[in-house]
Amino acid sequence: MDVIHQLISGFYVVCEPTNLLACFVGVFIGTLIGVLPGIGPVGAMSILLPATLKASPITSLILLAGIYYGAMYGGSTTSILVNIPGEAASVVTCLDGYQMARQGRAGRALGISAFGSFIAGTLSIFGLMLLAPLLASMALQFGPPEYFSLICLGLTLLIYMASGSIIRAFMMAAFGIITGCIGQDPHTGSSRFVFGIPDLLDGIGLAPFVMGLFGISEVFMNIEQQLTKRSIFNTKIKGLLPDRQDWKDSIMPILRGSVLGFFLGILPGGGAVLSSFTSYAVEKKISKHPEKFGKGAIEGVAGPESANNSATGGAFIPMLTLGIPPNVTMALLLGALMIHGVTPGPLFMRDHSQVFWGLVSSMYLGNVMLLVLNLPLIGLWVKVLKIPYKILFPLILLFCLIGAYTINNSTVDIILMLIFGVLGYLMRKYKFEGSPMVLAFILGRMFENSLRQSLIMSDGSFLIFFTRPIAAGGMTLTILMLLSHVIPALRKKRKAIPLEEERT
Amino acid sequence: MKKHQQVSSIFWMLVGVYFTISGYRLGIGSLHKPGPGLIFFLAALLLTILSIINLVGTFRGKSVAEEDKKKDSLWSSVRWQKVVIVLGGLLAYACFLNILGFLLSTSLLMFFLYKVVEPTGWLVAGVSSITTILFSYLIFEVWLKVSLPVGFLGF
Repeated sequence: MDVIHQLISGFYVVCEPTNLLACFVGVFIGTLIGVLPGIGPVGAMSILLPATLKASPITSLILLAGIYYGAMYGGSTTSILVNIPGEAASVVTCLDGYQMARQGRAGRALGISAFGSFIAGTLSIFGLMLLAPLLASMALQFGPPEYFSLICLGLTLLIYMASGSIIRAFMMAAFGIITGCIGQDPHTGSSRFVFGIPDLLDGIGLAPFVMGLFGISEVFMNIEQQLTKRSIFNTKIKGLLPDRQDWKDSIMPILRGSVLGFFLGILPGGGAVLSSFTSYAVEKKISKHPEKFGKGAIEGVAGPESANNSATGGAFIPMLTLGIPPNVTMALLLGALMIHGVTPGPLFMRDHSQVFWGLVSSMYLGNVMLLVLNLPLIGLWVKVLKIPYKILFPLILLFCLIGAYTINNSTVDIILMLIFGVLGYLMRKYKFEGSPMVLAFILGRMFENSLRQSLIMSDGSFLIFFTRPIAAGGMTLTILMLLSHVIPALRKKRKAIPLEEERT
Repeated sequence: MKKHQQVSSIFWMLVGVYFTISGYRLGIGSLHKPGPGLIFFLAALLLTILSIINLVGTFRGKSVAEEDKKKDSLWSSVRWQKVVIVLGGLLAYACFLNILGFLLSTSLLMFFLYKVVEPTGWLVAGVSSITTILFSYLIFEVWLKVSLPVGFLGF
């Protein structure tokens, strides 16, 4: 009963006009971003991060979360209509969605993807409501050694799942920790790598860092290519409501995708991309007609689209209850909360119950809004797809510049953003992944503090990480994870996961 | 590709060496009382070691000559010059923003991006620029009450 009571209070919070507006703006921008190839949800969230600084923590969280799950919805539109995924999680939707569009069933594909996403999103919120309080009460027993081991595990898992070279992913994580710890030392007060720039005393800001690494670099990658007109599948979109047969074929993939996506979303490094790929593989494997997959099977759209939305709800659990984000998007949300002075963790649900339940309620409402936005406005989204990139990129750049400037009213942040923009551009070209770096950047300070506090607690003994059960469990899993890399069979499997760049 | 990997490994190795030495100089303290440089020292050491492993790895496998036969696809088939031009424009914007003020410097930047970098028709460029500048001005200056620089002209 307590959960229902809390949920109702959450609805009160989200029904405040500002929060309602933030929810609508969030899902609208999210859908727009999901539709537009060339800018992903992480880029969009980082660009809009500064705009949320003046708002309350709950309003900014509702807005940013709306962008995230809105983009998951919107991404399917481009996959189905143009065979270009709006974001990485929709890659797999191209396989059958585009084929359905070619067969004149674009409306059905868009419809089932919207309904599937809605059902999965709602189910994952139920999961979040039930699991988060349990995990939070467990996490109350955590001290610095537990946090250190969990951060190690989280980073290692993310690196392991991040695909590409594991060595290079670790290199990026190491550099992320270095950049995340720049600024004043919290224990001694001495300044570290500030190079005489007062703006750096508080550390490198999250917004210029991620805006550069994801926003600016994405624009650079796009403008170095010939900006050609996209060809959009020219068909009249009709019959958005799936018929009885479509529902019969899709309902089980939707339910399976929801459960699978939710649990994979909780895993560090899992998230929407892995969920959609896994769901597609599962559906194909258990289907009576696997030969239909890739040729316009509705199950190939319903399963992955449900899974990637469900993963969104799952991913909130470790972020809100442990303060450890399982993926880069959650890391951004964590960063946004920390900017507002709210630190997610075991006490988050007790100390900031309004923020937690407000967010959960906003996700319900956001899902309804998305259903309303996605189906009747499909024509508008198709028109948006036709906007040439040469019109869009100056606007993206301008928002990045103003966003970076407004954080501290300083051009230093713009320069920092450009430096990280160039770094991100070169990293994309040389196949270094940005996600481990961002996660390590955000967790850097926590990583350092928990390590130093643990060593002080244990009088300099590293055994503290192996004598406490939870810490020992985390460290053992981390070590096993690292060792598994040298086992050839597992290494082969890991290589099968496509690179983030290849996915988009 | 191999050559590119070698260059990037050397770059990260140098970054690692710099932070390892600087972290050590900051003071790594002892295990009982870790110093402010410890985390930099450890992370940078890891970065250095992994860069070396990555560099060594590039010497294995296909021969460099064989790899060199492939076109230098990272830079040859793309318009990287456009990136340099845009970056120059953005850096200039950062330098002149406080002097020229938000409205003037942003107008110049938009003109530069729409007409110089990717030539667009006057109408489209004009409408997009004015709408964006007004929209961003309303959001940040009026709604969010962020003071944007006014510059020497007073606007």
